[in-house]
Amino acid sequence: MPRANRSAGILRRHGGALGLMIVLALLPFLFGLLEGASPLAVWNNQAGASKFYEGLLIEVFILAVYAISYDLVLGITGLLSFGHAMFFALGAYLTGILLKSFGLPLWATLLAVVGAGVLNALLFSVVLPRVKGITFALVTLGFAAVFNIVIQSHELSDWAGGDVGLQNVPIPTWLSPSDERLRFYFIALVFLFAVYWFYQRFVDSPTGRVCVAIRENEERARVLGYPTFYFKIVALTVASVTAGLAGALHTLYQPIVSPTIAGLGFTVAALLMILIGGIGTLTGALLGAAVYRLVDFFLLRFTGSSSSFLIGLIYIAIVLFVPYGIVGTWRLRNVEWRTVWQERLAQWFGIKESPQDLAPPTTEQPPD
Amino acid sequence: MRRIGIIPSGLLYRMMTSPVVLEARGLRKEFGALRAVNDVTLEIRAQTFHSIIGPNGAGKTTLFNLLSGTLEPTSGQVLFNGQDITHAPVHRRAHLGLGRSYQITNIFPNLTVLENVRLAVQALGSDNFKFWSANAKFARYTERARQVLEQVGLSDRSLRLARTLPQGDQRKMELGMILAPAPEILLLDEPTSGMATEQIPELIGLIQTIQRESRKTVVLVEHNMDVVMSVSDTITVMHQGSVLAEGAPAAIAANVQVQDAYLGHSLWHDALQQAQHEQSARGS
Ligand SMILES: Nc1ncnc2c1ncn2[C@@H]1O[C@H](COP(=O)(O)OP(=O)(O)O)[C@@H](O)[C@H]1O
Ligand SMILES: [Mg+2]
Repeated sequence: MPRANRSAGILRRHGGALGLMIVLALLPFLFGLLEGASPLAVWNNQAGASKFYEGLLIEVFILAVYAISYDLVLGITGLLSFGHAMFFALGAYLTGILLKSFGLPLWATLLAVVGAGVLNALLFSVVLPRVKGITFALVTLGFAAVFNIVIQSHELSDWAGGDVGLQNVPIPTWLSPSDERLRFYFIALVFLFAVYWFYQRFVDSPTGRVCVAIRENEERARVLGYPTFYFKIVALTVASVTAGLAGALHTLYQPIVSPTIAGLGFTVAALLMILIGGIGTLTGALLGAAVYRLVDFFLLRFTGSSSSFLIGLIYIAIVLFVPYGIVGTWRLRNVEWRTVWQERLAQWFGIKESPQDLAPPTTEQPPD
Repeated sequence: MRRIGIIPSGLLYRMMTSPVVLEARGLRKEFGALRAVNDVTLEIRAQTFHSIIGPNGAGKTTLFNLLSGTLEPTSGQVLFNGQDITHAPVHRRAHLGLGRSYQITNIFPNLTVLENVRLAVQALGSDNFKFWSANAKFARYTERARQVLEQVGLSDRSLRLARTLPQGDQRKMELGMILAPAPEILLLDEPTSGMATEQIPELIGLIQTIQRESRKTVVLVEHNMDVVMSVSDTITVMHQGSVLAEGAPAAIAANVQVQDAYLGHSLWHDALQQAQHEQSARGS
């Protein structure tokens, strides 16, 4: 392919993301204008409404990073993990504990989060050669449940705060989520798009292609010569480190850590986000996180405490009418996609279908 | 050596002197009480076309699973170029030069035809862990995949999702997947099952051409006896997990006649009937 063509292709591929990033970067100022605040006021964190929406979007960005990391595990590599919340919660708690109880500088804390993320992924990987599908889901669920109990335990309450969670994590002033919110907003935004860019590259690399092959048919991939175990470790490690960093950002922003992020509910949240957006599409994870957080916010605002019932209804509607997620349905609008899904679910849950069900035997002649 | 008279001398030379590529020694696989493969000893010689025949349930697929490593034998050994690979993992065998295809379609259903074959090429390259390079940089894999798709006649369908291909084309694609990395030895388990009868000779002809031109070793399980007789250098007959007979096609044919004479029927005819039965069942 000629070089000019290629750079045009790159622009076509990443143009949308770049455009979106610019729009998101300008959004706080737009909010400011809507409430009659000058861009300078927004810049100095003096515009109340703008600041509020910045905060909401920071939460969306953090959730989006968390969701995209789950999409790599489940949607790209086909590993059904029910312990994903642990990746996030470990990063969040570690950040809180190291900053608060150990007084570590931020850079050292983040380094530790990365290291812990790698170890966490290795822990999940230990069982990979033995368990597949739903068994892997249960084992990872077990890991996360143990973590959830331990982190809330009495013995650790001096550090982790027991079932109340971690309060008053000291945040460096230059990053203060209240006084320097716009800066925090830009950092979260850049972090999100850096992760997104990295994931797009990863999935389009030789390694990422193998991960997709593993999702499609691991046995075949092994016979072709891929030591699939190692690729699954790579995918889990990348996902664990990203989710851990998202957790760190979560702690820095809040700056409290509530034990809810270590529960099964938070893994289900990741699942919901990628189901809404489109599983295995990466972009869908970002969209799903936005829908998930914003629907929750607006319903809570306009309907008060009864919102969770409505949220449930909305999710059921989405699953019924946009069964492959927003991005998934859009991309596959020409494909008979239901069977694809059935097959994947069957694969994750270890249900064996007879080959006749998968592909009706036809002996059509090629059109000549 | 009474067979000498009916074997072409070049072939005889190859059969007698070419080294053993793949060897099974007393290979056994038990499923509970069933001995699916019962002390099979088998030598596959380099650059020969070796067919394995036998009725359904004879243990041919299980033998392939043992050779390719998807199953662990109960006892016995597998040797590849003299190296003991009995317990070598599946992926290692691929890197040693052992390629394998399946009786039942076994593909990446939601990837394109090109990507299915490309993945087969990439597997044996050294770029698998380059997670920071765009896939498009490794054009040689794609080129090789396209070349193979041309060979098996699927060039015009390379961008279709594999699952949407008719089964005959899926079989061609699978042949492409095993040819693409150019393994030293190809284990082909009924590569034509599910194909229209009239497509079979063409596909087998292609396998034979490639075997001859690129000096590959082929082990073929196939029910179509005309095909087996015409392309094979050596034929092994399996029955109930054991090797019943082995030899050049003419010798096997003679063996079959002997069986016919003594038993009134032969395994060959049993297998043939079964194959025809299966094909008519498929057609309906
Ligand atoms: N995974 C398995 N578990 C139990 N029995 C099996 C398994 N695979 C094959 N068999 C049995 O082993 C015997 C040989 O099967 P197979 O190797 O598929 O024969 P062939 O390929 O010659 O038709 C059959 O009786 C079959 O039912
Ligand atoms: Mg078989």
